[in-house]
Amino acid sequence: MAEIVYAAGAPHAPGLIGLLEAAPADVKDVVTSTYRSLADAMASAKADVLIVFANDHLANSKVRAYPDFLIGMAAEHRGPYEWFKPWIGCEDYTVKGSPEVAAALFDGMTRRGIRMFAQNENLKFDDNISVPVLLTNVAGSGIPMVPVLQNCTVPPIPDQRRCYEVGKALGDFIRNDLPADMRVALLGSGGLSHEPGGARYYFIDEEFDRWFLDLVASGDHEKLLNELTLEKMEAAGSGGTAELLSWVVVLGAIGSKPGKSFGYTVHKDFKCGVGGVLWDMSPNMPKSRAAA
Amino acid sequence: MGLEKFNPSLATHDLIQDLKWSPELREEFAANEATVLDRYLLRKDERHAIETRNFLALYDIGLHPYLGGQFARLIFGNEAGKGATVAVNKLVESLQGKGPVA
Repeated sequence: MAEIVYAAGAPHAPGLIGLLEAAPADVKDVVTSTYRSLADAMASAKADVLIVFANDHLANSKVRAYPDFLIGMAAEHRGPYEWFKPWIGCEDYTVKGSPEVAAALFDGMTRRGIRMFAQNENLKFDDNISVPVLLTNVAGSGIPMVPVLQNCTVPPIPDQRRCYEVGKALGDFIRNDLPADMRVALLGSGGLSHEPGGARYYFIDEEFDRWFLDLVASGDHEKLLNELTLEKMEAAGSGGTAELLSWVVVLGAIGSKPGKSFGYTVHKDFKCGVGGVLWDMSPNMPKSRAAA
Repeated sequence: MGLEKFNPSLATHDLIQDLKWSPELREEFAANEATVLDRYLLRKDERHAIETRNFLALYDIGLHPYLGGQFARLIFGNEAGKGATVAVNKLVESLQGKGPVA
């Protein structure tokens, strides 16, 4: 039985790379310590493969033919896509892929009633994959990656309950379809509150962000599913905050676990709240803080 | 202003996607915008909103805001902290009621 040995959620705002140097020191401290902690934990987990769920941001498909989930099956993932490079302010990177795990994921999710799409060609990556890959040193670590780009912004959007169901199927796939003893890392890339392209482009909902980070770290998934509605996420930043649904997929896969947050910060130029959570995947941990 | 006015059939969505995906089309758009616009089945009000850089009007007829943000960068600049900041400010200016921001 394969095992999930790492599970985390983190934002991917482009400014975390291109505008970090010019940010105030206290902001830089939170960003740097958050991603360093996530990178260190990923390295310690000694995972055989990393599966990343992230908002596609309308980067790969036209509006009239828009998949809810798109798996990258390439043997090598290159990014960022040409047009996004100056916007993110990062260099090119290459990450090893895992066509075998990607194909098994596509087959396994299909068998479990989850409609996903898959593509052999290199997907177009913007900040969704580029920021976590670079800030958590995925490229340097050599861990193979399977990206899954999801629809977090084109109505009708799979809501928190659907994404949690997708996550449960993902967990079942990992435990039952992947080779025994395979060690799997999961990352939900997206959020926190932001409104890209909206009239409130500079709006950051600190109250929502702190509520969300505390909630997902608590392990109380019943409360999460009842309260993290699309309406609530839209109110906290239309068209952007709902990419926290990528975290929900990861939570569905791991089930109720306590997590650790590494602080929270806001910076106007990032146009996004920043904070990450690492869930405790050690086998003897209580299911949640509430249950502890 | 959120997704409530989103019109998935709007041709401007295809224009923006194509511009993102093709450096050659971006060059042509910059040199001869009208020729590029002629290739898309744009409504009259939709084309007028593009030509006058009226993002508020585009959102009112159903442009997806995420693509609206990218369209602003395609027009005003895409570099972190430089053109991209100009683009955001122009977009917000339009959406907050100023209409055309050319």
